[in-house]
Amino acid sequence: MSVATSSYIPLVDRSVWHDVKPIAQDDGPNPVVPIMYSGEYRDAMDYFRAIAAAEERSERALELTETIIRMNPAHYTVWQYRMATLLALQKNLDDELQLMNEFAVQNLKSYQVWHHRLLLLTHISPEDPSVEIEYLHRSLLPDPKNYHTWAYLHWLYSHFHTLGRISDQLWHDELTWCEEMLRVDGRNNSAWGWRWYLRVARPDAETGKDGLKPELDYALRAIHLIPHNVSAWNYLRGLLRHFKLLLTPLLPAILPYTAQASSQPTESTDNFGFPLPPGPLPNDTPLPVPLALEYLADALLEQGSNGEAGEVFADLSSNYDRMRAGYWEYRRRECVEQ
Amino acid sequence: MTDFTSVQQNTFKRNGHINYFLRCLKALPTAAQGSDSNRITAAFFCISGLDLLGALFEKTSAEQRNGWIDWIWSLQAPTGGFRGSNFMTTHNDDTSPAHIPSTYTALLTLSILRAPLDRLNIPGLINFLRSCQAKDGSFSPTPGDEVYPNEGFQSDVRMVYCATVVSDIIRDFSGIDVESTKQFILNCQTWEGGFASRPGIIEAQGGTTYCSLATLSILNKQTGIPLPNESHQFQDTLRWSISRQMGGFQGRPGKLEDVCYSLWCGGAISILGHSELINRQADRSFLLSAQFPIGGFGKEPEDYPDPFHSYLALAALSLTHSQEEDDVGLGLKRLHAVWNVGQDTADWLKSEISRIKANS
Repeated sequence: MSVATSSYIPLVDRSVWHDVKPIAQDDGPNPVVPIMYSGEYRDAMDYFRAIAAAEERSERALELTETIIRMNPAHYTVWQYRMATLLALQKNLDDELQLMNEFAVQNLKSYQVWHHRLLLLTHISPEDPSVEIEYLHRSLLPDPKNYHTWAYLHWLYSHFHTLGRISDQLWHDELTWCEEMLRVDGRNNSAWGWRWYLRVARPDAETGKDGLKPELDYALRAIHLIPHNVSAWNYLRGLLRHFKLLLTPLLPAILPYTAQASSQPTESTDNFGFPLPPGPLPNDTPLPVPLALEYLADALLEQGSNGEAGEVFADLSSNYDRMRAGYWEYRRRECVEQ
Repeated sequence: MTDFTSVQQNTFKRNGHINYFLRCLKALPTAAQGSDSNRITAAFFCISGLDLLGALFEKTSAEQRNGWIDWIWSLQAPTGGFRGSNFMTTHNDDTSPAHIPSTYTALLTLSILRAPLDRLNIPGLINFLRSCQAKDGSFSPTPGDEVYPNEGFQSDVRMVYCATVVSDIIRDFSGIDVESTKQFILNCQTWEGGFASRPGIIEAQGGTTYCSLATLSILNKQTGIPLPNESHQFQDTLRWSISRQMGGFQGRPGKLEDVCYSLWCGGAISILGHSELINRQADRSFLLSAQFPIGGFGKEPEDYPDPFHSYLALAALSLTHSQEEDDVGLGLKRLHAVWNVGQDTADWLKSEISRIKANS
């Protein structure tokens, strides 16, 4: 048998495997996209086929599955066999979780790694999930936009909330952590989504129609801090849409970013009650902000001023967001045709 | 504003791409070991890529194609559905179950190769789909059991999309509960207007938005949900998808462009009925800049190519530069945006399913 490295000892030469007859892969005479397997991988899979055929649940089967998933972390059949073996042998699943802590560092983008972890947590079912939460927070530090990690964090909170094990303190601490993530990077869209979950979407979230103002303030302050921040604008629009609120009342906070002479607030903003942009705006803010123009146009539509809205869309199309010229022209035509 | 045409002067490396796919079909490097259990999907990318280039029947022999067809049929599980490859070399369904994405890519690949589908086990396929659906409407990649329940991390809109397309192809939706499927997808819409991988998950993404819209457009006839391109319900989805264009497309706000999102976001926009709103020129410039010098596409410029990005880049170009509207000579076939395969294959597949149903 050919092997890739000189230090590798083929399984056939290891006493622990002496009684197993490996099963080679039969890929037929016309394999499509055959892979040039490494010697170790081919060797391990030959023995895995034999183990699986005999439905063997053993320590050596566990070792073999670990060897394979280290070489191919997407191997769903091997993961599934590993989980079934862990359960059949009644292994200590905390040890497995420790192994996964190490394993995940290299394989944050593998669905199977996270699925395995989810099943482990379901079985271990700790009374207090805070250790796992802290692990997730640490995992996000080097890769703060990893979709799988955030999706898993969502599962963790939903699952343990259903079990009644997320205390008010944990919810509170999570929001504090999320705000820190957004303080470090105000453009982290995943963290904005997490805020939406914590403040709006989760069971017992506090942002109802009455408790909405602090949330609108938060979004506006984020816009004032980074006026071109797509996530903050989307969050603001998402809130207004979700709670069926009009865009128009918030216009005084938006208009300075449109840099339109005609759009300066005519009324006094003394009683406005929402955070206003710094006046004057910092010199390093390129104006107008296309997202502000879009907001203005949608507010004008809301007011029935279709013609004016169409002009703003035309301006976006011709001058301020040429990448989406076709889309803004489509929005302009809609104004005219309505 | 940058004039994108002057930044990128890349020409379309048609022959390079043909040779890239032909090379991959012969052998993938050790680095592709992570695709061992999904080889049929890598095969789909290569064969469908050659097909969109119009080179499949010209550059491969009937003998080669018949060999590939035999290999794909060898993946059909005895109880229905297709496996990802022969990695288990067994007929034991417990250790070698059929797999939802592999079933989708196997069916499409057989069709691109124009293989008669008489051997397709349709009742088994329907049972297989049924065994993968969870109560919440989602699907697990393989049939659920006590160890690996149907509900889980991987039971997301990608699986729902594949299961729904397979049902659409065989024109039989009895393998899926269409109402819970529809509700699952609708619950994936986020505060941003796009769709996330599962309900309640907090962030929309290009691929999951494509899968969601494609699924809804198929379920239209079964559930009465409006078609995405005929409904104002999805205006926010259009806005979100259009906003992802930076030149090429990003998958989420604040992320870099990646050629695969030209198809996922571009496909979503097409399903919404507005492919004309894509900035074709900027998208094409980005895609062409991600070509590898000797063929294939990386996920971004100066990246190594892989079959996934190479195919999706071509599919994205097919969306906006198919023969009918091609002003720059790419010479690509038109794409069926919902099934993600050449339109001619989709048409053939419809008549082939009618034929085998009439014979059964």
